Amino acid sequence: MNILLVSILLFFGSVFILIASIGLVRFKDLYSRMHATTKATSFGILLLLLGISIYFNSWNVAIKVVLIINLIYFTAPLAAHSIAKSYEDKKDKE
Amino acid sequence: MEGLSEILIYSSFLLLIIALVLAFFRLAKGPSVHDRIASLDLIASIVMGFILLYSVLIKNALYIDIVLVMSLISFVGTVAISTYLKQKP
Repeated sequence: MNILLVSILLFFGSVFILIASIGLVRFKDLYSRMHATTKATSFGILLLLLGISIYFNSWNVAIKVVLIINLIYFTAPLAAHSIAKSYEDKKDKE
Repeated sequence: MEGLSEILIYSSFLLLIIALVLAFFRLAKGPSVHDRIASLDLIASIVMGFILLYSVLIKNALYIDIVLVMSLISFVGTVAISTYLKQKP
């Protein structure tokens, strides 16, 4: 039962990362592409880490998992903002 | 690990491989440099997902440290490249 829950979480995390990748290919503009990749990838990695944390079932892993989730959810918007800012500056110069 | 759960884990490897191929397509095609930077960010996340799935497959919790370091390095690399492009004359 436990391993079934873990594998379902891992599968849905991979599905969300695949949706982000399809959005990166299909969308027309850079802003919509970043809208697809940033959010869906963060949620997919969150589901994968949740599955890992249930599977190994120890404090040692759970602390690292909480650390990685906080890190990703703080840094992914910052990276997307930085890319959008440099794109905006380049468009202004032309 | 038997039956349905094994099928689910192997098919999630397959989904991540398809995602990697699509991201490489955008990396090769992308019109501007910024599309390529966003694509590289996504590729780093896909590789992190690969490492997490592999650590479940071989039942070894040691690989989570790699994901921790890789998320830091991906963020620093993205910010460095986009700051360089912004300040370039």
